[in-house]
Amino acid sequence: MAAYSLDRLSVLVAEDNSYLGSLMMQSLRAMGVGNVRRVEHGGEAIDLLRLMTKDPTKAGLMSVDLILSNWQMSPVDGMMLLRWVRRHKESPNRFIPFIMVTGYADQDKVHEAREMGVTEILAKPFSVGSMAKHILQVIDRPRQFVHNPTYFGPDRRRQIKTLVDGKERRVRTDDEIDIVHDDN
Amino acid sequence: MTTTKKVPIRYYRFRNRLRDKAMTGFVDDGSPGAISTEALDAAEAEFDKMAEGYPDWVQGHIETMYDHYRHCVEKPKSRRMCFRKLTFIAHDMRGQGGTFGYDLISIVGGSLYEFADFHKDGKIEDKHVELVGAHIDAMKALIAGRINGDGGAVGKELLNSLEKAKEKYANAH
Repeated sequence: MAAYSLDRLSVLVAEDNSYLGSLMMQSLRAMGVGNVRRVEHGGEAIDLLRLMTKDPTKAGLMSVDLILSNWQMSPVDGMMLLRWVRRHKESPNRFIPFIMVTGYADQDKVHEAREMGVTEILAKPFSVGSMAKHILQVIDRPRQFVHNPTYFGPDRRRQIKTLVDGKERRVRTDDEIDIVHDDN
Repeated sequence: MTTTKKVPIRYYRFRNRLRDKAMTGFVDDGSPGAISTEALDAAEAEFDKMAEGYPDWVQGHIETMYDHYRHCVEKPKSRRMCFRKLTFIAHDMRGQGGTFGYDLISIVGGSLYEFADFHKDGKIEDKHVELVGAHIDAMKALIAGRINGDGGAVGKELLNSLEKAKEKYANAH
């Protein structure tokens, strides 16, 4: 198994808790991530991503490969940031992997994040191992993105399961699906 | 990039550029990669280093929670606002405690979060405020005693005391 070299990656961390934010930054750097930037809430993240699009030199950032964001932040929380990244016309990359870091444990919250197009959810409290596991998941197993009238984000089905009753529940035919490739 | 007809559903299947970046210097055989043991050990060392300073840093959070508790006692009209703020901080404590090795801070913080979140929009009585105080006292004791991990016998005793306080206030009229 090859050891990844993460020095070309650029990660944006949005975390309002300075101690936890610092821990995340130091850990990512220790793992070899080349560029780690931290902002204190979703609004600052949006400002930075906007600036990066307009003036990368001033932003000190050419691109962001991955966002790690706390959910509960003020005034702009992680869910609002995710919505902006996935849906706003000014988003520099609507397909960017987004790991939501959260202490919310209930299923409803997980569902809410999933419906907004989150890539991974890292539950707090977290460890080096769980952080690394989710980063590797993003690198090793990216999912196709799905755009339909009610959803935009990574495919919510992580695996193809055998149909319980043998019937396909999706109602769309192949003619109604467009597949966009980008192999350059 | 190719786009074709206008359809209700579109799948985007892009080249895995993240992996391309991370595979520098290797031939990609398609198998999953890893983060080196050295890098993970270095990250663990950062966790350990920061865990040492956590009790000092978290004092500020506990003092802020105590201030909100005092407000609840002295100014009953401010209780809802204080409970909302307590919900926010307790949620934070639940997430951060275990991350720094203080598992019981996560348990007590989680308990306070659920309690304050449940009551924050309702009628907040004296018994509710007192139970908030019991949670804060438990967190103070955990940090003052540097009780990390599962806390052993002392930790168990603290959690038992908190459970008794919860039962007492749940039954209070």
